[in-house]
Amino acid sequence: MLVITLYKAVPARTTKIVTVGGVLRREEMDLVMNPFDYKAIEAADYLKRAFGGKVIALTMGPDFKLKSIAASLYDTPVEGIDESYILSDRRMAGADTWATAYTVSLGVKKVVEAHLSAVDELISLIRGDADPERFAQKAKELYERNLIPNAVYSSLPTLKEATLAERLLKGEVDRGSALRLLEKVRHEVEKFIVIAGIKTSDGETGSTGPQVAEALTELLRRYIPSVTYVRELEADPEAGFIYVERKLGDLIQKLRVPLPCVISIATDYRPNPPLLKLKKRARMFNYAKKVTESVVLNADQIGAKPELIGLTGSPTIVGPGMDIGVPPVQKFVGKTLVLSTRVEEFELNGKKYGPFERLSKADDLPQEVLNYLRERGLVKVFELEDLVDELFGVRVSVAGEHRI
Amino acid sequence: MSQGNTEYRDVWVYCEVQDGELTRPTIEVIAGARKLADKMGMKVVGILLGSGLKKIAREPIYYGADSVILCDTPLLKSYQVLPYTHVLSDMVFKLKPWAFLFVANEIGRELGARVAYRTLTGLAADCIDLIIEDFVMYTPQGTKVYKDCIAQVRPDFATRIAKIFTPKHRPQMSNIRPGSFTPLPRDESRAGELIEWEAEIPPEAFAVEVIEEKRLPKSPIKLEDAKVIISLGLGVLKDSRGNPRNPLEAYRLAERLTEVIKQRFGVPAEIGASRSLVYAGIKELEGLIVKDRQVGQTGKTVSPDIYIAAGISGAIQHRVGILRSKKIVAINTDPQAPIFQIAHYGVVGDLYEVLPKLMEMLEERKQ
Repeated sequence: MLVITLYKAVPARTTKIVTVGGVLRREEMDLVMNPFDYKAIEAADYLKRAFGGKVIALTMGPDFKLKSIAASLYDTPVEGIDESYILSDRRMAGADTWATAYTVSLGVKKVVEAHLSAVDELISLIRGDADPERFAQKAKELYERNLIPNAVYSSLPTLKEATLAERLLKGEVDRGSALRLLEKVRHEVEKFIVIAGIKTSDGETGSTGPQVAEALTELLRRYIPSVTYVRELEADPEAGFIYVERKLGDLIQKLRVPLPCVISIATDYRPNPPLLKLKKRARMFNYAKKVTESVVLNADQIGAKPELIGLTGSPTIVGPGMDIGVPPVQKFVGKTLVLSTRVEEFELNGKKYGPFERLSKADDLPQEVLNYLRERGLVKVFELEDLVDELFGVRVSVAGEHRI
Repeated sequence: MSQGNTEYRDVWVYCEVQDGELTRPTIEVIAGARKLADKMGMKVVGILLGSGLKKIAREPIYYGADSVILCDTPLLKSYQVLPYTHVLSDMVFKLKPWAFLFVANEIGRELGARVAYRTLTGLAADCIDLIIEDFVMYTPQGTKVYKDCIAQVRPDFATRIAKIFTPKHRPQMSNIRPGSFTPLPRDESRAGELIEWEAEIPPEAFAVEVIEEKRLPKSPIKLEDAKVIISLGLGVLKDSRGNPRNPLEAYRLAERLTEVIKQRFGVPAEIGASRSLVYAGIKELEGLIVKDRQVGQTGKTVSPDIYIAAGISGAIQHRVGILRSKKIVAINTDPQAPIFQIAHYGVVGDLYEVLPKLMEMLEERKQ
């Protein structure tokens, strides 16, 4: 299966955020992998181990920041990714989910097309009755670039005998069965799957997965399903379906979803152990090489319209931030000064003050007023008992007022 | 799609139904939509999709909507993103709403995201408030004012709280966190138009097959309805002298406090928890501090009369979940804890000492 897993680099520390006009400046921050995206890689890795294929990690952002994160993904506790693509372009900066989905879907299309055209080259060689030597030569070249699976060509001694290239050379396979195998390889690329984490730790919107599916729907001119909150995943790549279980609030849905599709993996997903009987198939359909150098693509290379990417292509704009409301009055037990009883309006140095309710805050009163009230024994420290009074109602014994 | 002019009108609410009733978050969003529509002189339109909904089709009107568009067909019996997106996008293209609001739950997030992309407009996720404001854009070419936009207020990693604007595109779409608006009272005397929508859904939209569907039993924990919430954080692990404590003790204290409050004051009270406590996976609290108790950005937004945060330092993600509480009481040993910034009442102290004292004092008084 061709598995494309999306990931995002997020600020490493919430305390060191650099923004300009509400837009994160990722190039100026320490970035780490979004923790929710590890689940996507786990799911991708499961599919590869169970059914063969390859895992490609795809992201968008400044490549010089992302390369080290991409490098670390080849080497996760699970088997890790096989290839990495980074969509990097200054013009992509400041993208909201719409512009991100648009850009990422073009990246996905680019990756899928590269694999399709590799298989198509081989198919046209067979159709044109090219000699087996030439086929093997081309297959080797594509194999070195990790664009075809072991079933077509392999340098692994244990698999070599069974590859299409080798069997063609030995005259063991006819044109028809060669085409059937290549069509099968093509089918698995065409029936690709995109896997995303359920959300990111910075934006927390969870919108990107479904919007990438929608962007692909437009781009490929066919309905691309999206499934969010996936907690169980099985596949039948030959039939072109995945089977998933998802949890929508208290609704559990079990679905059969046609490929290609986009799924988002819930945090409680646990990969199944791959079935032993599928092991041989998995080996034949694996892509043997890992391409550890990230492929960096800019907006032009993926065919993005400049007016639809980055800040320009984003329908939403982040306005000025604001502080979370600090309450107008704050009282601290054992610290804040309050009035011990209700105080009626009074005059001091020609100015009128009050009336004040019992337990109203005295700290903020002018010093002379505070002193005046203090001298009359009307000021006290706010106590836990007073807090309970304010929250749950006053004990009868303390209700009362004071006239000056 | 880009905003042409004033042809985009009305505030739509995608209405979710469960067990034959509108869900509470839906009713809240209708209340939020009412606020916007009144200010703009527009209508609130409830959008109902599904099967067998005719008998409850007027419910959105009873809760504050002016009209309802109902698409009732057996084809839409199960929620499926492709046909649902198709029907909603079709409605948007044809009827041009000014705003379209969803609940920020699993369905609303997915469905709203796809409809927004397809109809070429922006989506603000996880909003906690909606305000009508002019949006001023500063560009090198000068200042441009977009009159009467929705400031879609959402917690933001970068700037604490951010206002998201969709100045140039219509409809303005957002999903709203449950607990963000107070529902309007149900009023059966409210009249409004019921429009039946004939959907034409291409067969390819049914490519996904629903093999099985089941509902999990509802959680008995009702943080949304509680008038008093006592929430616990990682502070339960140690007392002020740094000695480890059995967190179950703190849970039992909170439990007794909620019981006393329920009995003495006759109001619903519930125990909440911070995200870190829920995810700490503490053995003693297994089955007690469950995910349904989590308050905050990834948990629930609550709006009790009294919110007591005990041993919660108050990361921004927690604070945004409790903003709508009428009174916030923070109990924490660390005077620098950010929770104190938004607390109406602060108690710098050990929850293992403060909570028992609170209990004593409460037992002394009656409603």
